[in-house]
Amino acid sequence: MVVGLKDTLKLIGISIIAFCAVFVCTLFLSYNIDIAALKGEITTEVGMVMYQAQVSTGKVVAAVSGGCLAVTSIIMLLFYVKNYIDTHGKELGILKALGYSNFKIAKHFWVFGLSVFVGCALGYALAFLYLPTFYELQNAEHLFPEIKVQFHPFLAFLLVGVPAMSFAALAVIYACFRLKHPVLDLLKEKHEYKAKGNEKETKDMPFLTELTRSTVRGRKSLVFFIAFSAFCFSAMVQMSMSMKDLSSETMAIMVLTIGLILAFVTLFLSLSSVVKGNTKTIAMMRVFGYQHRDCSKAVLGGYRPFSYIGFVIGTIYQYALLKIMVTIVFADVGNVPEYNFDFTACAITFGLFILTYEVAMYGYSQRIKKLPIKSVMLE
Amino acid sequence: MIEVSDIVKSYGVGGNQNQVLKGISLQIADRDFTVILGASGAGKSTLLNVISGLERPDSGSVVYGTSDITKLSDGELTQFRKDNIGFIFQQYYLLPNMTVEKNVRMGADLAGNREYREIITAVGLEDKSKKYPSELSGGEQQRVSVARALAKKPKVLFLDEPTGALDEQTGRQVLDYICKLHKEYGFTIVMVTHNQNIAEMANTVVKMNSGKISEVSTNEKQKTAYEIGW
Repeated sequence: MVVGLKDTLKLIGISIIAFCAVFVCTLFLSYNIDIAALKGEITTEVGMVMYQAQVSTGKVVAAVSGGCLAVTSIIMLLFYVKNYIDTHGKELGILKALGYSNFKIAKHFWVFGLSVFVGCALGYALAFLYLPTFYELQNAEHLFPEIKVQFHPFLAFLLVGVPAMSFAALAVIYACFRLKHPVLDLLKEKHEYKAKGNEKETKDMPFLTELTRSTVRGRKSLVFFIAFSAFCFSAMVQMSMSMKDLSSETMAIMVLTIGLILAFVTLFLSLSSVVKGNTKTIAMMRVFGYQHRDCSKAVLGGYRPFSYIGFVIGTIYQYALLKIMVTIVFADVGNVPEYNFDFTACAITFGLFILTYEVAMYGYSQRIKKLPIKSVMLE
Repeated sequence: MIEVSDIVKSYGVGGNQNQVLKGISLQIADRDFTVILGASGAGKSTLLNVISGLERPDSGSVVYGTSDITKLSDGELTQFRKDNIGFIFQQYYLLPNMTVEKNVRMGADLAGNREYREIITAVGLEDKSKKYPSELSGGEQQRVSVARALAKKPKVLFLDEPTGALDEQTGRQVLDYICKLHKEYGFTIVMVTHNQNIAEMANTVVKMNSGKISEVSTNEKQKTAYEIGW
């Protein structure tokens, strides 16, 4: 088998993102379906307004969270497939040389869909267990009749079966596309670095600066993930702090937990990939006499600006989302406090972000320090 | 002067321990061209790694002038390599995402060498300075590796089977470049090879067998890369 089950274990990041996405979507979509069945029983005007607001909220949250996390999972899946083919070029090249077609090899990548299945199934199951509590929270003011938790097979299929099958198909199609390289290129694990005409501008750039630039340019998907990690941290932490007056404490804790899980998982997976992908470069630099702090700065430092950009986007996103909720979705609901940008929450979150990010960077810098310089010569 | 005294180095633990260097002692004079010659498994690459500070011995000392590098901390050892040592490996180990110029600059920047383009010219690659390693032949890649090592103006250049992955003609060409640059810059060369013919280019030949030095000899007349057999 080209790709084994153990290879899917490396896709834990996708499983966690899928888990979060399905967990959130299951809560809100199940609630929407179950409350829709009770629509005729809502007799008060306040109850009707609240019903409309909660249904709209559910749609927005499911669409934004689900959509955003689905896009991230897709990018992560493509990154893993590409990375797998890049690092197993020799084995895959031999199979192609023996006469296996691209599709015959690529079809084994369906197992990558299992990681999505595991994440989605766990997300759905845990959300389903949490639904009674969630329903109580949503109906804390008893504006609706008692809402009973119902199992919706179609929703389960939509949130577990469809993503798993779609990701499995996507992995196969993308692997097929990536395997189109000539056999010799795969066997030599040849990377596609080609001279371009725009070298003039970097002519006098110091080596370390150029290394930082090329490290970032060489792994653009990791730029996205690191920015996404900062985005999640910024948006979810600020949102959980700002929404304390707008929603329940449980909801705020849920948002905070999901945000932190996504942020840390994405950040650690990305930084691990950066260090792993630059092991040879770091080892060679150490052989030549570059101190470990130079290596760390050159390899990891280039991602810092993107993490700050992610933080800023996350701040704008959470503000816009809450503002829309308060001014549009809950416009007709009474007693909704006015929402303004929470500068205190932003400042605290930014402080926590800098601390967390720099601690993570320090941890990975120590990991770089411990890389044996002989590792490059043992291959 | 490099003074190597009673170096012992083992790999593995317990019953699986394999002593690769069994009490090696030798002296390498400044500006000398020393070849460490031996069959595969003789311990010559391990000795090179220990002398160059890439690996620590289990016991013994490696003294450069008055400094015993086996006593240095990791940071001090890195600084020592930065100030003194150049490396050329059989597999080149160029950075694939960097052009020829940037690969050479990796060494040059360590020494603050702004004239690194002269070395690129000296190894005959001035017209390929914007190319990436994957766009070069094996011989050209090894010449980049030579330029990169020399751009940091090393006092001692260590070469581990530098022609091992090259054909005869390209191998001779690379060795010729190294010898010319040795005469021009005056650094010390320590080269590991299993090719007896290449040893004829050196001043001093250290023969190794099963982790021990079996013979040290000097060549009265050094041959050029085009005079030796292959």
